[in-house]
Amino acid sequence: MATAAFDVLDGAAREFERAMQRNLKGLEYFQTSGPTLGATPKDVLIERGTMRLYHYHPRTDDVYRVPLLLVMATTNRGYIFDMVPGQSLVEYLLDAGFDVFMLDWDAPRADERTLSLESYVLDFLPAAVARVKAESGEDDVTVVAYCFGGVLSLLWAALHPDSGLANLVTFTTPVDFSKMEMFQSWADRRFFDVDRLIDTFGNCPGDYLYTAFDMLRPGQRAAGNIRLYDNLWNDDFVKSYRMFDRWSADILPLAGEYFRQTTKKLMWGNELLDGTLEVGGRRVDLANIDVPFLHVAAEHDHIVPTAASAPLVGMVGSKDKNEIMLKGGHVSLVAGGNAVKRLWPNLVEWLGVRST
Amino acid sequence: MTSTDPAAFFRELLGEWEKMANKVGGDFARSDEFTRAMHGATAATMSTQEAISAMMARALAAANMPSRTEIEDLSGRLGRIEDQLARIEAALGARPERPARPKPSRTRKPPEKKG
Repeated sequence: MATAAFDVLDGAAREFERAMQRNLKGLEYFQTSGPTLGATPKDVLIERGTMRLYHYHPRTDDVYRVPLLLVMATTNRGYIFDMVPGQSLVEYLLDAGFDVFMLDWDAPRADERTLSLESYVLDFLPAAVARVKAESGEDDVTVVAYCFGGVLSLLWAALHPDSGLANLVTFTTPVDFSKMEMFQSWADRRFFDVDRLIDTFGNCPGDYLYTAFDMLRPGQRAAGNIRLYDNLWNDDFVKSYRMFDRWSADILPLAGEYFRQTTKKLMWGNELLDGTLEVGGRRVDLANIDVPFLHVAAEHDHIVPTAASAPLVGMVGSKDKNEIMLKGGHVSLVAGGNAVKRLWPNLVEWLGVRST
Repeated sequence: MTSTDPAAFFRELLGEWEKMANKVGGDFARSDEFTRAMHGATAATMSTQEAISAMMARALAAANMPSRTEIEDLSGRLGRIEDQLARIEAALGARPERPARPKPSRTRKPPEKKG
């Protein structure tokens, strides 16, 4: 009984101290703009419309022979791979001795509404790979791609078997779009007039996509705000919250034709899984991919459920192929404390022996 | 074991509420009724956008001013010229000046596996 009373008093004192800290730091929260993200030193090699290609400055005197190209999803900014020092996959790869490039995206301009799957798969990706080869002086390249960046990389790799691809790694990459249940409901062709949306707006607005992502977990935002208030005394929590909150709100619009095609061919037609998908008039067959292949799925992924990526490894033609399932969600798989402990060391180990 | 810490109890409760809200809200968001209402709202926004665009285009034409579409077309043409210049530069091997940095050697081997 005495111990319980002591616990209550102890807890009350701690909560009082935290409440004081919350008031002080709450003011600071609104006066500051949060940590600077994506600041690892880099050169911009290509800046063409929506396309950006970066080369990060190496941090070791001796790097692995094969350069590494990160390919970002077209809906989000690439700084998820380069948050802040100590929480940056880019920095981690550089310190592990990789020569790192990133294919990132800016918001498509109004006149880029005509960009299509072909633009990404037959133009942007090959241009990025060619430049990486020229810059590194090597004939082969490893591609590591996230979410829909993975889909684009798969399509490119399947259509360009002689491109000099050394290894392909994809994170949370869907191939069975019928298993993306929530998106399937919202893209239901009985209600969703994709042609009218694109004909009206040109590009698919970022706000529209942001709302869709937000509604996947309707309770998350309210609970997150309460948690933020509860943890305002904790600098590490606040820093992490601000990083992820900023990134998840920084959703890019999607080029109109590209969005129209992905809706019709993938969400409605599930053509990648069926093997009927054509890009630039050529049939995509993932069995053409024969380089070492790794897919990493997240156990609690609410955006790309594991069922949506499950058939992928079986579809790829490589002999050296593997899938690993790690704890975490769609974002915590690749960034934050969970990623530092789980994904990053696994990735470096897998790539190291295949990058000489 | 029951916690005597009301703050811990509140945090646990918040976690449970979030799970429930995600489940109930998610089930509702997946329903035909929600999808129909959501796209109905989007269609209303699009109708408004179309009406305003048409009205603005007429007003700008009357004032002998370029419309948004015309400005976008001009911007697009400029963008395509920039893209062509970038391609020509790349084909000619022209690269913007960058400070020279020593290039690392490319002979790194993976660390030996322990034990």
